[in-house]
Amino acid sequence: MTAVPATLATGTPGTYLEWRPVAPPYGPREQFAAGRQAAAAALAAAGSVVRTVPRVVGGRPEFPRGYPGSIAHTDRLAVAVVVPGAAGVGVDIEDAVLTRRVVDFVLYESERRSLLAPAGDYSPVELFSAKEAAFKALDGTAAGDGLLFWRIGLARSDAGLVAAFDGLSVPVWVRSEGGCSFALAVRR
Amino acid sequence: MADQVTETRQRIRELLIEMHGPDSFVRTVSDTVSLRQQGLSSAALVSLLVRMEDAFGFEWDDDIQPEVLRSISSLAEHVVALRV
Repeated sequence: MTAVPATLATGTPGTYLEWRPVAPPYGPREQFAAGRQAAAAALAAAGSVVRTVPRVVGGRPEFPRGYPGSIAHTDRLAVAVVVPGAAGVGVDIEDAVLTRRVVDFVLYESERRSLLAPAGDYSPVELFSAKEAAFKALDGTAAGDGLLFWRIGLARSDAGLVAAFDGLSVPVWVRSEGGCSFALAVRR
Repeated sequence: MADQVTETRQRIRELLIEMHGPDSFVRTVSDTVSLRQQGLSSAALVSLLVRMEDAFGFEWDDDIQPEVLRSISSLAEHVVALRV
């Protein structure tokens, strides 16, 4: 998918969301470049003078001080989010088709039972995205050290989903359109 | 032991080629670099871990450390260590 899903095109107030297409031949280099272009645009929209996002140890993007953000991409589309004032931000987009084995690996039994349709409101790829976004938002915390994203627990909340690990929690907003799942976690 | 690690590395590379095709980044990726930094998505990483369970006949422990999942070499060394 190369087009930005219409319902995912813009952020909410205080959230600066930008999308960029990945250029052919759609390899890791092009995906990286599209992500950084999206990040530069999101930083500009948020009012940051610094618009570069270097890669630090571990490959994580380092956003300018005061402008925490996150980057994600598929083979064809990149997205970046900047949320000034947040303690941590995580974004994820997924268009992968997940096998039953992968779903069982990533989701706890209680999550499969209560959150997946028809008992719940979510698809497997939405919950996968939610965990990945929460993982990024928890990065840099004590809980984030040595954390694998599938160990994060998900539960329903009034506003959607809440992700938790080791005493820390973060709300996660999830939306899907056209086979693409988008998740955003903002830690305050 | 060294032969086992070499064979296991090769099998893991074959699993990655099954997933991504022979013309993907897998063709040139070294055994020791971070797979995630070379473009392996989180969904693909989990798919690889599941395929490894089937290929090598084990289940991943809940307390596995992220460093184990970093590269073809670290994955292979973990699998071989399980068999010792």
